[in-house]
Amino acid sequence: MITDKELDFVRQALDMARRTGAQHARATLSKSEEDLVATLDGEVDRVTHCADRSLSLALFVDGRYGSYSTNKLDAASLEGFIARAVAATRMVAEDPLRVLPDPARCCQDALTGNELGLVDPARNGITPSARQNLALSASVLASLHGSHGFAGATSPDVPHDGAEAAAASGNRASKLACSSTPCTPFQGDSAISGGIVRGGTAKRWGPKDVSGGWLPCSDEESGTEYEIVSEEGEYSDSVYDSVVMDTNGVCCRHSETSFDYGVEITIESEGEKYSGYWWDASSRLAELDAAACGRKALARAVGQIGSEPAPSGRYTAVIDAEMASKVVSPLLRALSGYAIQQQNSFLLDSLGKQVFPKGLTIMDLPRIPGQTCSKYFDSEGVATVEAPIIEAGVVKEYFINSYMAGKLQMTPTVEDATRPKVFPWPCAGLDRDAILRRCGSGILVTDFNGGNSNPVTGDFSYGIEGYLFEDGRIVRPVSGMLMTGNLLTLWSRLLAAGDDARPCQSKLIPTLAFAEVDFSG
Amino acid sequence: MEACNRFGVTVEQLRSLVAEGLRAGGDWCDLYFEDTSYHDLLLRDGVVGSGGYHVDYGCGIRVLKGEKTGYAYAESTDLPSLLQAARAAGAIANGAEAAVASGNRATLGIVRGRTAKRWGPKDVSGGWLPCSDAAIARYYDEQMPWEEAETAGFIPFLQRIEAGIRARDSRVLKVVAILSYSVSDILMYNSLGELTSDHRPLGSISVQVIFRQGERTENNTVSRSLRMGAEFVNDAVLEDLVSRAVDGMDARFEARRPKGGQMPVVMGAGASGILLHEAMGHAFEADFNRKGQSIFSGRMGQRICRPGINILDDATVPASRGACNYDDEGVPGQKTYMVTDGVLTSYLHDRISAHFYGVAPTGNGRRESFRYNPIPRMRATYMESGPDGTREDLIASVKRGIYVDQFANGQVKIGEGDFTFFVKSGFLIEGGRLTMPVKDINIIGNGPQALADIQAVAGDLRIDEGTWTCGKEQSVAVSCGIPSVLIGNLTVGGE
Repeated sequence: MITDKELDFVRQALDMARRTGAQHARATLSKSEEDLVATLDGEVDRVTHCADRSLSLALFVDGRYGSYSTNKLDAASLEGFIARAVAATRMVAEDPLRVLPDPARCCQDALTGNELGLVDPARNGITPSARQNLALSASVLASLHGSHGFAGATSPDVPHDGAEAAAASGNRASKLACSSTPCTPFQGDSAISGGIVRGGTAKRWGPKDVSGGWLPCSDEESGTEYEIVSEEGEYSDSVYDSVVMDTNGVCCRHSETSFDYGVEITIESEGEKYSGYWWDASSRLAELDAAACGRKALARAVGQIGSEPAPSGRYTAVIDAEMASKVVSPLLRALSGYAIQQQNSFLLDSLGKQVFPKGLTIMDLPRIPGQTCSKYFDSEGVATVEAPIIEAGVVKEYFINSYMAGKLQMTPTVEDATRPKVFPWPCAGLDRDAILRRCGSGILVTDFNGGNSNPVTGDFSYGIEGYLFEDGRIVRPVSGMLMTGNLLTLWSRLLAAGDDARPCQSKLIPTLAFAEVDFSG
Repeated sequence: MEACNRFGVTVEQLRSLVAEGLRAGGDWCDLYFEDTSYHDLLLRDGVVGSGGYHVDYGCGIRVLKGEKTGYAYAESTDLPSLLQAARAAGAIANGAEAAVASGNRATLGIVRGRTAKRWGPKDVSGGWLPCSDAAIARYYDEQMPWEEAETAGFIPFLQRIEAGIRARDSRVLKVVAILSYSVSDILMYNSLGELTSDHRPLGSISVQVIFRQGERTENNTVSRSLRMGAEFVNDAVLEDLVSRAVDGMDARFEARRPKGGQMPVVMGAGASGILLHEAMGHAFEADFNRKGQSIFSGRMGQRICRPGINILDDATVPASRGACNYDDEGVPGQKTYMVTDGVLTSYLHDRISAHFYGVAPTGNGRRESFRYNPIPRMRATYMESGPDGTREDLIASVKRGIYVDQFANGQVKIGEGDFTFFVKSGFLIEGGRLTMPVKDINIIGNGPQALADIQAVAGDLRIDEGTWTCGKEQSVAVSCGIPSVLIGNLTVGGE
């Protein structure tokens, strides 16, 4: 995607920076293209094509540092931009710790950008009409147009074994098969009748649905009734290409395609609205399971019908793999060199110490070919490496870039975790349902609604929705609750880490279970 | 027109671009030119050791035809690039397959209407007549243009902020202060021949302080952001930031988590406006209602809270971060009463939703940049002062509850109406008095229920001037405000 001419342009930008007064510089050229088809209620709603290009420069001028970017990339504009950037850099204070990374630490093996095999040539062959077909065929509602019945989600109060609800298949008239992927707490293959439209209010349908109105549905087993208010789906495929060069001769490149589908379905039951969202993504088109997303989103929405808070108290918390990064990301942020240096971290002085229980191991696995989000280098061009971040509860790594290495007088590592993976504990092979069975009773968290954590203390408070479970089985949906505590305390009560991380996510975080967590409702 | 010169185009060329956009049969075309520069300076460890600036430049072109929208942009404003974008946008309106002209971003939207209305100039403009710049009020300006200011002069200002903070509290461990400012020059033209321009300055300062007391560490973050020129960098702003950075830290070190559960909540004036932004503002954005997704869909004209309560979204608050001389569709800035005397009176409209509902646009069509098509967004959202006395009166009326006044972030689920906001600091209320300090708790409620449960509104409206940014699909600067209010029952996170 980045052409040889553009690579020359980046070299020229570095030369220009040096001629203008910079002793050192780093230039990053980023290019991307994205095609997107959004659907609303089973019809094409929006088609987007994006193409962007920008140049970022880090300048080291007379012991001073500045960072700049522009999308005006004609030669004349660039010359003025760099001259102004050099002059601006001279205004700030000297900081001798601002340096380029040691070239010996930098990536040497990312030359074509596709060494990790993350570029799927299939993207080049996708036509606009094929994109529309992809988006429409993934739509639950698209399959209903012209039909008088479809299979759908089950009621929320059906005892389950963790398999997801049935929902519409590509065959408009058929019941849906139940996917084996754990998603929502429903089981079975219950059918939902639908297709009789209510007249009156907001018209949601095209000419085929002349009577207008939302689509009533009901679960055949329980008689739970609801109407599908809207379905918003979004399919996109994109390619991203970037090259990092510096005046020490570093040159590394990363290219990656991405195929994504996400859908949100809003339903109404007894005057209350409920929404469910699901998504999938892959660097390879063939691995994208868009068709399953609508079914899962619908099942998640239906699963919340009748939800209300559970009584306040201490419960075992099981956090679904889809959402579990919420309690892992703050740990990684707290290990950032910037946070450590500014003492804005609840993991100060933790390096080499047993801070977490022995059940917690997080590895950074950045170099696995074919894995979405794998990358050979960080934003400085430093080579990524497979390394333990937390091993059997012991903190093994701070994320230290070249600047923070000087500030902290520590050996540099990488800027951040690239592809962190939480390892299973206490045994391999546990999925969410197995963890529910092990835990017995508690609250299964399937979504977070807002909240935050304090980076200095690790105190957190998050809005949640999910399900109350007893004897390893779902009892009823809960919402409008808050989960509150301290991250160190939470992790000290780790009960289990599953083996069910979704590979489409940048962080490989499985279902997690913790004892004695405070919930307010 | 000077704004045309900035982008190297003439009015005649703008007309020809609109004509090109409409050539394939579109009914409406508008152009959005943007030249934005963003600057920042960072103080850390006592020195201003890094700075930068970033340039974003281009033009977005939108074509409407019937119920469809086409959108394309160019990152250059030379005529061939613009013509290509105009053709792409125009072609999009007639079929998605034409939308993939290289180098452009293009959007095809199908807007569902009750009938298959065709856009006519009057429909699209919502009744707005062509207007000259001179006829439009200005809600912000640069007395001292940022581009003419000496950047070097800002460095001692940041250093004085740190010195001031350290002088007032010996527990200060670290100070990070960031001064940022952006200047956007906008030129808009549409097929009605309306030519509008806007010069949008925005200055912001945020300060993060880490404190240490014994073995305990706490942090505090304060910010200030206003649409004005370099006169923003003044001693009054410095004093405000310094004092707020250290205020309340004794309580912060004493603060504990309350016992969680449902309880009355008194929300302090100012930043508590996040309640309005999350609990109702998003749900009043007309795109959510047009799709039937909002919990407030279909409730126009209904009572949603007690009589006497007025809630606005306002582009006319001088120098506010949410102020707009024009929105990003060229509609003049205005004040929109969403709730009047307790009754829902208006959604927040862009041109498309206004067309859908058959009403005038409310000037809420906003976008992050030329790369995005405009959608309904909030500006400065607040509630007018009420008749129920003072903050102290509200606190005194609560037997056991919580008082909150500083916030970090919020979120809402549009369909369910469940909103949350994260409280940085507050106090328990016991027997009508503030007692134990609390911090770092989330509060959750349901929008319609919370509005209906507003039991008292004090007369102390304050519009917050923090760096609020709303992240609905695109990031835009907003502000919020509220007088002190008492809500009968919200769920408070705790132990």
